Amino acid sequence: MREAAVRVTFDNVVQRFRIIQERPDTLREAFAKFRRRTSYHDFEALKHVSFQVAEGEMVGIIGRNGSGKSTILKIIAGVYIPTSGEVAVNGSIAPLIELGAGFHHELTGRENILLNGLLLGLSKRDVMKRESQIIEFAELGEFIDVPVKQYSSGMYMRLAFAIATEVNPDILLIDEILAVGDGEFRRKCFERIEQFRTLGKTILFVSHDLGSVRQFCDRVLLLHRGELIEDGSTDFVISRYESLLSQHVDSLRTQAW
Amino acid sequence: MIEFARDTYRYRELIWALALKELRVRYKRSLLGFFWALLNPALLMIVLTLVFGTIMRFSIDHYAVFLLSMLLPWTFFSQAMSYSVDSVVGNGPLLKKIYVAKLVFPVAAIVSNVVNFLLSLIPLALLIVLLRFPLHWTWVYLPVPMLGLFLFTQGAAFFFATANVFYRDVSHIVQILLSAWFYFSPIIYSLDFIPEKYRWLFRLNPMLYVLNGFRLSIYYGQLPSLYSAALSLGCGIAALMIGFSIFRHYQNRFIYYI
Repeated sequence: MREAAVRVTFDNVVQRFRIIQERPDTLREAFAKFRRRTSYHDFEALKHVSFQVAEGEMVGIIGRNGSGKSTILKIIAGVYIPTSGEVAVNGSIAPLIELGAGFHHELTGRENILLNGLLLGLSKRDVMKRESQIIEFAELGEFIDVPVKQYSSGMYMRLAFAIATEVNPDILLIDEILAVGDGEFRRKCFERIEQFRTLGKTILFVSHDLGSVRQFCDRVLLLHRGELIEDGSTDFVISRYESLLSQHVDSLRTQAW
Repeated sequence: MIEFARDTYRYRELIWALALKELRVRYKRSLLGFFWALLNPALLMIVLTLVFGTIMRFSIDHYAVFLLSMLLPWTFFSQAMSYSVDSVVGNGPLLKKIYVAKLVFPVAAIVSNVVNFLLSLIPLALLIVLLRFPLHWTWVYLPVPMLGLFLFTQGAAFFFATANVFYRDVSHIVQILLSAWFYFSPIIYSLDFIPEKYRWLFRLNPMLYVLNGFRLSIYYGQLPSLYSAALSLGCGIAALMIGFSIFRHYQNRFIYYI
């Protein structure tokens, strides 16, 4: 059997954000701050994180808020360029980081399909080819020619999810988006994710919903304050996370005493 | 420069879709829709013709045509600048979520205004015919100053869109700069009105050569000297090179400031 190709490699990745206390947003502030040096501190969102994801893997990323989960996805998507370390991404990416980020409210569903598809890197021809499938999956019917500002939030989500997954990427990045939408929509989304998995696509899945992580992921990364503290089988890492959470609750309790 | 051309070509479909979106949104929910792109300059022209043709009379023959020949390209410049200065900051929420080549936003802002500008030439030609002013054959020369104008505007757009990411005052400064620049350019007057000893000052204005090309071919029916034509293109290319290299240098840091 051939060795599965590596899709994503993180080697010693550090992502530092400079948190400037009241960053000078305007010139006046910049002049005022010029004399009494701007005060800032560096915040390391990721501290020397290394891992690899192979073709066909579905990897969950868990951890508390602010632990760096979304930062990892944004680095893979190319939004951030890491401060140091090496990142290699091999294959096309579809980010489901925030559904409908590229939607324009005044435009109709159909116009938004084109604009969003192009933003996600498709050519116009590819978008046109997939348009009918997108409309069908989103179950919009005649609403497709209505401006999206008149959509219900469910319709909005369905359209966005349909576009992002029709891009047919090698690597799918999912950030906590499935928490919204009704049961029926969630079921459809999970079906599609399942379908992606059988096609041998690589999926990175950030979620607080440990149930769906358990259901889908073969492997889980656990982040804590920017450090990758566990990388292993789903059940093991989730139990580790749960004990971490209860420790945290305990420490809060002791403080309260 | 090569990189600019390559990336613009590579993302041409996205740029065009964004530019169309901007135009659609601008004219959405108005009864006449896209017609406003024609009607707007037409109404302005009618007002100017009435004011300067019948009420105030100048020593310049057909002052309305004289004025419009430069006012239309200027309006393009100033509108394109106002749009593009916010083009990166305004798309910040999007840039924070997905990877998009950042150059598409300033370029799309210019492209949408180019469409508007080209449309405004139709009512101008109509007006000229209605006023029985000659429609000079030198109109065929217009693509040259247009190219200079578009390149120059694109260069300035890259520069100011970049500066605006780091200091939001820039969008206000641009407005003030534009109105000062307007009066320092011989748009409502002719450079002949300026005493000889100050004219060198006005010749430092890079927009002068481009604007001159428009007035010469639309109003005077003449072709500019080769020197002036070369300068108008040269200023455009230089502005684009400077603007784009600054934009390119800083673009990876945008994400931390928007």
